[in-house]
Amino acid sequence: MANRFGLPDLGVGLGLRTVHYGAIVETQPEVDWFEILSENYMQTAGRPLHFVDAVASRYPVVMHGVSMSIGSTDPLDRAYLQELRALRDRVNARWVSDHLCWTGVAGRNTHDLLPMPYTEEALRHVVDRVRHVQDFLGAPLALENPSTYVEFTGGPGAPGAAMREWEFLARLAEEADCALLLDVNNVYVSAYNHGFDPREYLRAVPFDRVVQLHVAGHTHHGTHIIDSHIGPVIDDVWRLAGEAWRRAGGVSVLLEWDAEIPSLLETHAEALRARRFLGEEAA
Amino acid sequence: MNRYEVDLSGLHERASATLEGRAPRQRPPTEPEATGAPDRSLDDATLRGRQLWFARAVMTPESRALALTEDDARRALTPGPRLGALERLEIYRRGYHCRLVECLADDYPTLQHAIGAEAFEELCRVYIERYPSESPNLSFFGRRMAELCRTELRTATVPYAFCADLAALEWAIVEVIHAPSSDPLTVEGLQHVPADRWGEARLVANTALRVLRFAHPVNAYFQSVREGAEPAVPARKESATVVYRSGPSIWRMDLTGPMFEVLSALLAGEPLGDALGRVEDSLADLDEQQTVERVMFWFREWVSSGLFVRVEV
Repeated sequence: MANRFGLPDLGVGLGLRTVHYGAIVETQPEVDWFEILSENYMQTAGRPLHFVDAVASRYPVVMHGVSMSIGSTDPLDRAYLQELRALRDRVNARWVSDHLCWTGVAGRNTHDLLPMPYTEEALRHVVDRVRHVQDFLGAPLALENPSTYVEFTGGPGAPGAAMREWEFLARLAEEADCALLLDVNNVYVSAYNHGFDPREYLRAVPFDRVVQLHVAGHTHHGTHIIDSHIGPVIDDVWRLAGEAWRRAGGVSVLLEWDAEIPSLLETHAEALRARRFLGEEAA
Repeated sequence: MNRYEVDLSGLHERASATLEGRAPRQRPPTEPEATGAPDRSLDDATLRGRQLWFARAVMTPESRALALTEDDARRALTPGPRLGALERLEIYRRGYHCRLVECLADDYPTLQHAIGAEAFEELCRVYIERYPSESPNLSFFGRRMAELCRTELRTATVPYAFCADLAALEWAIVEVIHAPSSDPLTVEGLQHVPADRWGEARLVANTALRVLRFAHPVNAYFQSVREGAEPAVPARKESATVVYRSGPSIWRMDLTGPMFEVLSALLAGEPLGDALGRVEDSLADLDEQQTVERVMFWFREWVSSGLFVRVEV
């Protein structure tokens, strides 16, 4: 099944990281595509653009943001969206993604991906905002499921969560007609932290809307898992990615590695492990 | 003229990973934000109400106890299979402070080295509380560090004025990283200026350039730390440095007092003749030929380094 938006399967990509700038420009490695952190190339007219232009001239690029704050009850930041759109056009990004979260409220920004209460009110709010952003961009927005460490209650008299994340995500995608970036590691992390079955999550995902998968390493503390993007991806996450990849009928896969980042060669080798696991699933 | 490239390989990303860091050092308990009275903000179960409550809890400094009990927290948050609601909330609080401390450490590695990791983290926590981010972008979050050093930094061993100088130098590097730049002026670009009109020529500077004067020799200290040395904090002695970007590379160049005077005047838009007039006294021990040679030497260095983008007559 190809995604309903007709967005291409770009293969196995890497997150573009500062420490690899020199190696990428000098060696032009055979990486299928790069994902850039949108905000690293916004509010700048200098050095970061020098490198992202070089990368975008050679590789397909996808934009991944951390500050749209789609779930916040503050107004959408129009200046941010304008700059996001301009960057999209500059690097010819194949699509733009951000997270199902909020990053701040009352004018303050925490720069963290804060969890949404999964309530009907929140759903209505986010659906409206996603539609607005998509109209502004003139393209589907891909929203990523975040790693979460808390769940909100359903409000007075409802001590459990009002809705599970996968239900919220599926309804959001349907009602806002948006795309999804399924972070398989985040499913795994949240499943452990909240005590649900990650495969139950996958069964609820509308895979015709999934245009990209994320995989990453994490840090297991026994009582909880932190989505640290450190180290290699564990096999359980790769297997989950394989299942998601199969359900999506083949989809772009990206490795995120953000702490103690090894050489470009080593990072790419880890990303290419995807082919083994996806191959197993495809076989 | 000493010229040094800034190694930017240590710069981190603003990424989507969760940061956890370590727990802040234990200090004598400080008063919680409230006095133990029920948190009325928990009564507001709207999306806005929940977000205001959650953000306040997350942004409360880690050195301050949260004015929340586990029972309070469970009015808004579910407990997990292995952690209580408050413990789960604490992951976000720690992540918030850790991310911003890391951001400031990225921008101020030499300041961190100078005052030590512990004092730096304490300074950052004051910074984070005083200047919370109001931007979707973290690139300019640290812009007020020199100001904070002047007013708040109290370390036993490192003078705050030196730290403020060091912070100003490191912040100039951040600004120059992000500033736009144009193609530099070349020697050929100078040739259209008639010899008899050089006095009235104005040089237009590269916008990715900052000229700074300090009360301490901070550029030498910065370079020494970058080379892996453990330099002593220098005594007061005026110094000046130009920080600029050429292509993707960031450079720092020492300036003497007269060089600083001339370059600052040129950047302020003064004609070349007027700018040179500012240093007549300081070059008084040179004869006319020596003065011309000295000034031409500066000028060649500045042009070849790309400090100017064009000359206007």
